[in-house]
Amino acid sequence: MSSGLRFDRVSVAYGGTTVLDSLDLTVEPGEVMALLGPSGSGKTTALRAVAGFVRPAAGRVFIGDRDVTGLPPHRRGIGMVVQQYALFPHMRVEDNVAFGLKAQKAPKDEIRGRVAEALEMTGMAAYARRHPRELSGGQQQRVAIARALAIRPGVLLLDEPLSALDARLRSGMLSELARLHRELPHVSILYVTHDQVEALTLADRIAVMDKARLQDVGTPRELYRAPRTEFTASFVGNANLLPVTVGSGGVDFSGTELKVPTRDAARGTTATLCVRPHLVGLGAGPNALTGSVIEVQWRGATHRLYIEVAGHRVMADLRELRQPPALGDEITVHFGPEDAVLLSAGVTPERSAPVAVRETVGAADQGSRDG
Amino acid sequence: MASAAVAAPAKAATRTRTGIPSWVWALPPVAVLGTVFLYPLGLVVQQSFRPDTGGTSARAYADVFASTAFREALGTTVWLALGSTVGCLVLGFVLAVVIAFVPFPGGKAVAKFIDVFLSFPSFLITLALLFVYGTVGMANGLWTGATGAAEGPFQFLTTPWGVLLAEITYFTPFVMRPLLAAFSGIDTGQLEVASSLGARPARIVRQIVLPEALPALAAGGSLVLVLCLNEFGIVLFTGAKGVTTLPMLVYGKAILESDYPGACVVAVVNISISVGFYGLYRVVSRRVGA
Amino acid sequence: MLVHSRRGKWATWAVFFLLFLPIFALPLLVVLAASFATNWSSAFPSGFTTGHYSVATRGESLQALTTSLVTALTASVLALVVGTWAALAGHALKRGGKRLLDALFMLPVAVPSVVVGLAILVAFSKPPVLLNGTRWIVVLAHAVLVTAFAHQSVSAAIMRLDPAYEQAAASLGARPSYVLWRVRLPLLLPSLTAAAGLCFALSMGELSATMMLYPPDWTPLPVQIYAATDRGALFTGSALAVVLMAATVLVLFAVSRIRTKASYR
Repeated sequence: MSSGLRFDRVSVAYGGTTVLDSLDLTVEPGEVMALLGPSGSGKTTALRAVAGFVRPAAGRVFIGDRDVTGLPPHRRGIGMVVQQYALFPHMRVEDNVAFGLKAQKAPKDEIRGRVAEALEMTGMAAYARRHPRELSGGQQQRVAIARALAIRPGVLLLDEPLSALDARLRSGMLSELARLHRELPHVSILYVTHDQVEALTLADRIAVMDKARLQDVGTPRELYRAPRTEFTASFVGNANLLPVTVGSGGVDFSGTELKVPTRDAARGTTATLCVRPHLVGLGAGPNALTGSVIEVQWRGATHRLYIEVAGHRVMADLRELRQPPALGDEITVHFGPEDAVLLSAGVTPERSAPVAVRETVGAADQGSRDG
Repeated sequence: MASAAVAAPAKAATRTRTGIPSWVWALPPVAVLGTVFLYPLGLVVQQSFRPDTGGTSARAYADVFASTAFREALGTTVWLALGSTVGCLVLGFVLAVVIAFVPFPGGKAVAKFIDVFLSFPSFLITLALLFVYGTVGMANGLWTGATGAAEGPFQFLTTPWGVLLAEITYFTPFVMRPLLAAFSGIDTGQLEVASSLGARPARIVRQIVLPEALPALAAGGSLVLVLCLNEFGIVLFTGAKGVTTLPMLVYGKAILESDYPGACVVAVVNISISVGFYGLYRVVSRRVGA
Repeated sequence: MLVHSRRGKWATWAVFFLLFLPIFALPLLVVLAASFATNWSSAFPSGFTTGHYSVATRGESLQALTTSLVTALTASVLALVVGTWAALAGHALKRGGKRLLDALFMLPVAVPSVVVGLAILVAFSKPPVLLNGTRWIVVLAHAVLVTAFAHQSVSAAIMRLDPAYEQAAASLGARPSYVLWRVRLPLLLPSLTAAAGLCFALSMGELSATMMLYPPDWTPLPVQIYAATDRGALFTGSALAVVLMAATVLVLFAVSRIRTKASYR
């Protein structure tokens, strides 16, 4: 069953506070869509609107072609995995996995086969007779996924599924999830997270949420290489955001001319220049900036330098330096013109109109924003 | 999208998933309660306005209010309840603080014992006190044996003081339980920080423990107050003619004198006092989130 | 934690046990000791005998025990069914409705038990439902009195129940009734048995309403104890009281065993 899902101007309000504001978003059949945002951004609310646990004050939710806005959760045919797994503590692993099939009165033989299949797929077949409390966090996580997959949903909702795991387990589970998705190419996945690494690793596309609104949507590469808003730039990866004035063939940053693509930005307007810290190089070069070192952080493989340039802080992530500069040293850094993205200033993130045109990266998602 | 921004009916949220409004499910238990409790209670109020001679009048009220027995019972009930409540609060607080913050081996067993104590009927206490302080009991026996006097000095059991002692004994655990629950929520780190800053135990209790315990004290105290106002077994078992409380008066009028209108009048008064305090308890406990 | 010096601790504990033992432990010990005695007019009881127990476990005393057990069991089951239903229904209501329902079901706690007895006596002494003089009026009164406690403890348990379980169940396609039977009630089982134990204990010791209602052929144990002490048979009364306490504690213990099993399943 491949279905995909669609939000059509979905708004949710609790007691007068809008927690989700006119969300328009389409998840294609078989696509992994990450909803990425800080807590309170509305991403979990969006997921719960698909599951049917919150009712939109306005708008419709579609699973496939079916309008499910008024349907109760148990008639929606979705699989869901939540942060704390919510495995039924009074049932064995196999009964947990069989729960959905039994509830829908599937034939007995079929239940057995599909439970075995789901447990096999998640690598939990050996634990079928255990109780949830006898399992580790990672194992519980797998059972929760098996339980959701056993009903063969067209849409899988994952609500911060890895946040209860420790860092090492998390990266292991990330590749597990990626493998599962390769084995189930027809299942659409809506993946709610506040962790950009999870979103960048797993998602086909990322929808960035903030303050109850969708801020940006695109493939991980698009969002990372050519963010449309300051919020996206700083939430997906780290970013130096420099206030600049647009000139001809470049911008002016506190009196320094920088050669960057200005696209169609009008001369004389103010804007924000986004430069990724790891694309900043040490020494002279194009677009050189000189300032004094105000902080040096050793991070093992890299050094992060904070350099004060004309009253602004510039971050540079450099491969571990043999002789890192001392505090107060005057140093010069530079970045390539193609590594900077001009964001229009004065544009509120809510009405983001991209200044950077995005032909540099694949225009994979043009169909998704006209829904 | 064509169907954009269609507001989902707000009412739908209060429906169960099967489409039956959820208040329908509340009807059967409410109907049961109505038949076996609310309707009888209504009859009591109705009966209190129906003297045996027929008709409807408030004469029974006039009669009951005029009688000294009623006025004494009212006074006794209220002061006994207030006294017991204060006693329970003080005693319960001290004991709960020790159990929670000066832990000793067996403290868990003591807490468990208090739970079991709560499940015993109240009249057991009076029964025990009869052996300890009764006219021929332990204390008086010791006294007469030692001094050769004809009578022991402990004759308070058939007075309100005996009832007060029994009620404090029996109801103190009702204060301790919520207190212990509240204390388990206090971060012990707070106490350690306070004492590392040089605060003495008395100061810590006053400035950290007591404020934290206030909600539980308020809730436990008002519950005990209501239970004391309604207490019957303890008073019945003292067998003292000198101590009459409102519940005793209801029992006496209804069962011993078969004066149902009179019993109903006293019952209505007792209900209004207790329910009044109980309403206060609910408000207080909701305010403080206990 | 609060007192750090050794001496301070011992002093605190001394004060604690000076208060605790005479007030809470002594009464129970006294009743226990008295149940084996024939005379108590000095420091210790005298005239050791087990005779009170042979009286207390025979004839009408034994019948009183059975009466109490049957009454408590029936009343607890009734109270648990009605209280749980009300708690579940209340949980699904909006704030105002839930509050009203809670208040209604807690009302029997506030109303004096004697008055509950009187009200039931008044209501069921006449047609259409004539219960006066039957055992059912006692069972009914007990059920009314303990329903409030059943409702309160089950309500609290429902509030504590993580909604994630029922939501997970619903997302897997389970209808609300299926979720109730297979997920919510099993998860509530420990709390339900705890509530049952509480109801049972309260009903075993109920005296106030019972005194207003009991028919001659349905005399629960507390009434029997009162009758004994009233005619001056304090030692027999103590033995009966010990039987009452023992029966209550045994049932509570059994219930807590079930509960541990249920929560570890």
